[in-house]
Amino acid sequence: MIAGVLAWKDRLLGRGDAAITVPVFDGALKSNRLIEDATTVATLDAPMDVATDGQTVYVADGVRVLRLLPNGLHEVHRCAGPITALACMPEGGFAVALEGREVRIEGGAHHGRQWSAVGAERFNAINAITVARDGRLHVSDGSTSRTCDQWKHDLMSLGRSGRVFELTPADGAGRVLASGLHHAFGACEIGDSVWVSESWRHHVMRVGDARNGRAPAVTDALPGYPSRIVPAHGGGAWLTCFALRTQLVEFVLREHTYRKRMIAELPPPYWIAPALNSGNTFLEPMQGAQLKMMGIVKPWAPPRSYGLVVRLDEHGLVRYSLHSRYDGKNHGVAAAAECGGKLYLIALGNRRLLALDIAAAERELLG
Amino acid sequence: MTSVPALEMRKATKKYAGVPAIEDVDFTLMPGEIHSIVGENGAGKSTLTKIMAGVVQLDSGQMLIDGQEVRPLTPNDAQKLGVAMVFQETTLVPTMTVAQNLFLGQEKFFNRLRGIYIAAQQFLQSLQFDVDPTAQVSLLGAAKKQMVEIARAVLHKAKVIIFDEPTASLTPEEKKYFFDLVYSLKSRGVSVIFISHALEEALQVSDRITVLRDGKHVVTDEASKFDRARVVQAMVGRDLSQTVYGQRKKQIRPQGKRVLSVQNLRMAAMVKNNSLSVFAGQVTGVFGLVGSGRTETFKVVAGVIKRDFMHGGEVLLHGRPVRYFVPASGVRDGIAYVTEDRKVEGFFETKSIADNIYLGLLAKLRGKRPLFRRSESAEVGEHWIKRLNVRAIGKDVKAIELSGGNQQKVVIAKALVQDPGLIIFDEPTRGVDVGAISEIHAIINGLADEGKAVVVISSYLPEVMAISDRILVQRMGKVVEEYSATEATEEKIMYAAIH
Repeated sequence: MIAGVLAWKDRLLGRGDAAITVPVFDGALKSNRLIEDATTVATLDAPMDVATDGQTVYVADGVRVLRLLPNGLHEVHRCAGPITALACMPEGGFAVALEGREVRIEGGAHHGRQWSAVGAERFNAINAITVARDGRLHVSDGSTSRTCDQWKHDLMSLGRSGRVFELTPADGAGRVLASGLHHAFGACEIGDSVWVSESWRHHVMRVGDARNGRAPAVTDALPGYPSRIVPAHGGGAWLTCFALRTQLVEFVLREHTYRKRMIAELPPPYWIAPALNSGNTFLEPMQGAQLKMMGIVKPWAPPRSYGLVVRLDEHGLVRYSLHSRYDGKNHGVAAAAECGGKLYLIALGNRRLLALDIAAAERELLG
Repeated sequence: MTSVPALEMRKATKKYAGVPAIEDVDFTLMPGEIHSIVGENGAGKSTLTKIMAGVVQLDSGQMLIDGQEVRPLTPNDAQKLGVAMVFQETTLVPTMTVAQNLFLGQEKFFNRLRGIYIAAQQFLQSLQFDVDPTAQVSLLGAAKKQMVEIARAVLHKAKVIIFDEPTASLTPEEKKYFFDLVYSLKSRGVSVIFISHALEEALQVSDRITVLRDGKHVVTDEASKFDRARVVQAMVGRDLSQTVYGQRKKQIRPQGKRVLSVQNLRMAAMVKNNSLSVFAGQVTGVFGLVGSGRTETFKVVAGVIKRDFMHGGEVLLHGRPVRYFVPASGVRDGIAYVTEDRKVEGFFETKSIADNIYLGLLAKLRGKRPLFRRSESAEVGEHWIKRLNVRAIGKDVKAIELSGGNQQKVVIAKALVQDPGLIIFDEPTRGVDVGAISEIHAIINGLADEGKAVVVISSYLPEVMAISDRILVQRMGKVVEEYSATEATEEKIMYAAIH
C-alpha cells in the first residue's frame, strides 16, 4: 500500500524511477576509441559467439564453428542449425546452443550429450554458455517466449522470464540456478560464485549465494545492457554490453500504451529501442547522438548503437572499459574471449571479429 | 580613432591585505573602441574595472581619462567622469518602473510621473531601445533589464561603459540584440570594455583584446590577430613549479566504488542536465569558470540548496536515490560540504573553535545529543585542533580571531568530525596563506588515502591539477570533459572550460 502511494508520488513528481535518468560514462567508463581502432580479423556472415580453449580462438558463424589460424578462419565443425552460443570444453570439443532450444556437446569426452530442457523447463533462447573449472556448463536463457533474435521484443514487452541453468556433462544432469530474470544474457563462474548478466536490469548479479531471496549485484547501474561475461586472465571478468541505455528508451519503457502501439504498428528496425547498428536509414528515430560541442560529438552523446566492453575486477568494480562511440562502426559487441594476450570480440553490428592487444590497451588507459 | 585614449591605466596596482590583485597593469581604451578583457578566475579583470568605475581605489599607478589624471573615489565620481559599469547582476530597483530607474537620483523635488515617462520614452526611442518606460523592472527579461542599464549609463553621458559578463544570462536571441546595442554605442563614439568568459563572443565583437593572468598584464593585441588557441595559451601559460601548489601529480589513486552518481540533474538556469560520478579513494577535482554551475550542483547534492520538484534528474548516494531538503539530512547520510564562503556559511564567528567544531558533531548526532555538553565540546575541540594543527592560543579562542587559514581548518574540522564518506570542498584554499594551503592539501590527500570520496571545487587551475586524481571540467551547467591527472594540461582544461 505505502509502496504504491510512494510509486504514485514518484510518478507525479518525476522522482525515483520516474526521473528517467541514465548513468554517466565517466571514471573507468570514460569513453575511448579502442574497439573502433581494434584490428578487424574477419568479416563474417552471421557471427554469434566467440570462445577459446586457451590456445585457439573459435567463432560461431551461422551453422559453422570456425577456428582462427594465422592464415585465417577455417571451418572445423558444421551444426544442424544456427548456433546461438559457443563454449570450448576443457577436454576438447565444443558446447553449442542450436537455435536457442538445445545445448549439445560436439566432440571430446562427452560427445553427443544434449539437453533441450531441465525438468519441466524447456530451453527457448539460450544465448550464452561458459564452462566452469570442474567442467559444468553455465547456460543463460534470455526468455521463455521470445527467440534470441527477438531480444528487442523482449525488452519492449518488459520481459522477465530469463533463466540460468547449470548442466553437468559427466552425467547429463541439470538444474535451474535462477529464474524470472529480466533477460539473462551471460553467466560464468568467477571465484566461488556464478555471475549472471541481467540485461534489462543493467547489472551483473551473483547467483548461488542469494540472501533473503535476492541475489546481490556484483556491479550495478551500468550505462548499457550487459551481455556475455567471460573470465579474464588475472581475475575478474570481461563483460560486453551490446547496446546503451538512453533517456529516450527509458522513457518509452515507461509509456505502456505508446510502446504497445509501437510494437503493433511499426517494423522493429524503426522502434525507439536500442539497436546493434545505426545510420542505415533516415527513418530510424533520432536518439540524441547529435550532441555536439564546439563542433565535436562529445563522449556522452547517447547513440542508438554503441560498442562497449567492460573489464571488471574480482569484486565487480570497473577497472577500465573499451568503446566504439557514436561515430564508430564496431557496434553491438556481444561476445568476448581472451587468448594469448589479445581480446577477441564479436561486433554484431557489422558482423566483424575484432582483436585488440590487452597490454597496449591497459598501458593507454591505466598508464 | 584619435591618438588620445578615452581611458588609460598606467602601472595600476591594487593589493588586498598585502596580496596584489593586480600589479603594474597597463591598459588603454581608445574612443569608440570595443575592448575585451579576458582571463581565468582571479586574473584581476574585476579589480581592474572596479578601479575604473570608482568602486575600489588604486594603491599605486595612474588612471587617465582623455589624457587627464583622475582618481575617482566613488562610483558617483566615476560616473561624473563619464565611466559607468554594468554589472552581471543588474543594479536596478525591481519594484520601480523603467523610467523611475532611469532617473533615479536625478529626481526633482516634485516629480510628475507623466513627465518622467515622456522623457524616458523619448530617450529610449532615441537609442532605438524597445522598452516600455512604464513597465515594472521586475517583469522585464534579462536582455531588457540590460537595455535599461545601458540606457541609464548613456543618460548619465557615459563615455566609457564597462560590461561585466553581460551575456551570461542572455538567450541567443537576446545576445544578438545586445551585440547590436554595443555596436550602436560604438557608432556613437562610446568606448566599451567587455569582460567575458565567452571567448568566441570576445573574439567576435572586440576591436582589441587584453589578456590578464594572476593580476598581471600578459598581452594586448587586435582581435583579428588572436584565435582561440592563442588566447587560451596566454590565459594559462604559467610555470606550475612557480606556484604554491607545487607540481602536478605523476601517479593517481585507483578508483574505488562509486559513491556519488549525479544523473541528468537540472536546477534552475545554473545546472543543465548535469551528470557525474565520484569514486571512493580518489580526489575528484571540479574546475569551471564562475557561473558554470559547480557550486550549485554540489549544493544540491549536499542539501544546501533545496531541489524543487519541478526540476529533473537524480542524485544517487551509494546507488540509493537521495533528495535532501536540509543539509542535516545529507550530513546524517555521510555528506559533508565545506563551503566556499566560510565567514557567512562556515562558522559562528563569535563562538569558540571548540564550540564550532562540536556544533558540527551535533548536526550529525541530532537526537542523540539533545543538550550541549561543554566537557565533550572541549574534548572534541582539543582533539581536532591538534589533529589539523589549528594555530591558536587555545580551544576557547573565537573563530573570528583566527587567520584565514586557521578559520578554514576549523570549517574543515567541523565537517570531518561528522565522519563523512563524501566530503565536498568548495574553494578550500581561497583566502588562506601559503603555509596553510599545503596543510589543507595534505588533509585532503589524507582523506582520499583513507578511502573517502573527496570532491575539490576550485577556480584555480594549478590547485586542481596539483590535488586531483581526476578532473571534471564544467561549463554552462554541466560536466563537459573529464581528464585523469596524468593526461590533463592547463590548456586542455581551459579549452574545455571556456565557451
